[in-house]
Amino acid sequence: MSKLERLLNLTAVLLETRRPLSAEELRTQIEGYPPPGPSFRRTFERDKDDLRTLGIPLAVERVPGTDPPVDGYRIPPEEYYLTDPGLDPDELAALHLASLAVRLEGLDDAEAFWKLGGGATPDGAPTAPITEVPSDPALVPLFTAISGRQRVRFRYRDADRELDPWRLDFQRGRWYLTAFDHSRGEERNFRLDRIDGAVLIDGARGSASSEPPPASGARRHSWEYGEDEPITARLRVDAIRAPWARQQLGDDAVVESDDAATLFEVAVRNRDAFRSFVLDLLDHAELLSPQELRDDLVDWLDRVVSA
Amino acid sequence: MSRATAGDRMKRVLSMVPWLVAHPGVAVADAAARFGISEAELLDDLNVVWLVGLPPYTPDNLVDVVIEDGRVWIHYADFFKRPLKLTPPQALALLVSSDGLASVPGADADGALPRALGKLAGALGVDTADRVDVDLGDGDAETLAVLRDAASAGTEVEIDYYSYNRDVETTRRIAPWRVFADAGAWYVDAWCHLAEGERLFRIDRVAATRPTGEASAQRPPADAGEAVFHPDDRHPRVELDLAPDAMWVTEYYPTEAVTPVDGGGARVVLAVTGTAWLERLLVRLGPSVRSIAMVGPVSDGVDLGAVGAEAAARVRARYTSGTTASS
Repeated sequence: MSKLERLLNLTAVLLETRRPLSAEELRTQIEGYPPPGPSFRRTFERDKDDLRTLGIPLAVERVPGTDPPVDGYRIPPEEYYLTDPGLDPDELAALHLASLAVRLEGLDDAEAFWKLGGGATPDGAPTAPITEVPSDPALVPLFTAISGRQRVRFRYRDADRELDPWRLDFQRGRWYLTAFDHSRGEERNFRLDRIDGAVLIDGARGSASSEPPPASGARRHSWEYGEDEPITARLRVDAIRAPWARQQLGDDAVVESDDAATLFEVAVRNRDAFRSFVLDLLDHAELLSPQELRDDLVDWLDRVVSA
Repeated sequence: MSRATAGDRMKRVLSMVPWLVAHPGVAVADAAARFGISEAELLDDLNVVWLVGLPPYTPDNLVDVVIEDGRVWIHYADFFKRPLKLTPPQALALLVSSDGLASVPGADADGALPRALGKLAGALGVDTADRVDVDLGDGDAETLAVLRDAASAGTEVEIDYYSYNRDVETTRRIAPWRVFADAGAWYVDAWCHLAEGERLFRIDRVAATRPTGEASAQRPPADAGEAVFHPDDRHPRVELDLAPDAMWVTEYYPTEAVTPVDGGGARVVLAVTGTAWLERLLVRLGPSVRSIAMVGPVSDGVDLGAVGAEAAARVRARYTSGTTASS
């Protein structure tokens, strides 16, 4: 009688039972357990730990009709069985390739592919990943809460927050969370690496405020996030830096372009952030309008010159 | 049998049995290859599986495993009809990989990967495709494609490259070795004929590419693409006295010393890898830099203390055409 055999039988029995089974019932039904006593209890505790470590959902419920109550165990089938995603072979191969090319730091997905039906490494697989996306201790708890539509609590910038997490974004090398912040009564963005301490999952969410916004899909720029009155800036960028500026601002921002320069129109909500972007171009760009942004920039430069 | 082995075999068996049930008569060799194990290991696992069942463990309550002519059939394993759900870390890792690769500029928006991602999100029971968004960085799709093709073919490419540190554009012939993304930007690690050495180029600063189609004599080293830039003793150091609102500098740049200042802010020491880099930093920080000083001897007579003001004056010169802007 091997331990593997005992664990498999335990899993089968707990999946098939319609009512919670007590430890004693499981001991008598499944081969390989020691006689009643401390040795059995230790073995049974270890088996329960092993099942949970494997990710098997083990429910603990009162055995019906017992008084004093006796703990009973079962595996709720709806929490155990993977819904078949119905992947075609080329789709499974594409997932395989993706997992080789883009890795999430510290996570091994071999078992995930077993669950999806295995499959050898496809031909033409890259020998080295094109990137490893950094992980963060908050990432898995937040994803768990997003998938399970749960509320979370954590400490951020010296304040306790209570949030309904909506979306995780990896942008410019960092992880961000978009969530409804109940402490503030509105949507907020958080940088995961600034979360102070652990993320606590805090049960189901209830209110209508929990409805997530549609995914933005748009490029995020620091000058699009701000409290300032929106204003349209016109920026001329010399050819030497125009390709880079075009990547940053997007094709839609281009008003006209020739061999010497490209003219852009940009919606600005955070003037400080936009000034920083313009100055990164050094003397290869000129902020044309509106006049107030131009004046602000000139004033800023004068202060640096005379510093 | 050790505990770890039982756990690992358990994971495999719980995934493999449903697949074998769904593929009656599959060749043992094919199944073993599919799950990355030897045929002997597979047969070992199956030797345990046929002992599994429900009380009272009479033959009609046990899993039925038939192995004949190198093929395998499994019946009566209803309790293992489907694999175990993906754990949150497993689901997250798959979504990050597939969403990340699908976001690479030029990726096929209707290909197998986006389809797989959609099906996976559906099976996970949440509109997860919209809940996890991975963007590896900006890059021109054609530039990326040209450099990746050249890297896999071992051919050379001529590029126009804007050097951010020196604020100049150069034309170089390079042998791309590896294209990768890091911290929100794309890079190509390459042999550069102009520099006569290995160089890392940021792809969003490549203004143009011209494939030569000619094979390169330069072979990539085993650690191609793993080289990260480290400042060394040749780079001058400056000390900046930063106001509190400029403390983000310590998060974005490798600061070598941070000394808090009474009343807020800090004095930080930075290695200067290029004059243009320092110019930008100082012009952007503006009044938030309370003072700047060279650390150690001034080499080559270059006093970096004044570069911020000089750069600001250069930028300011573009705005001397009066206050009336024209386009």
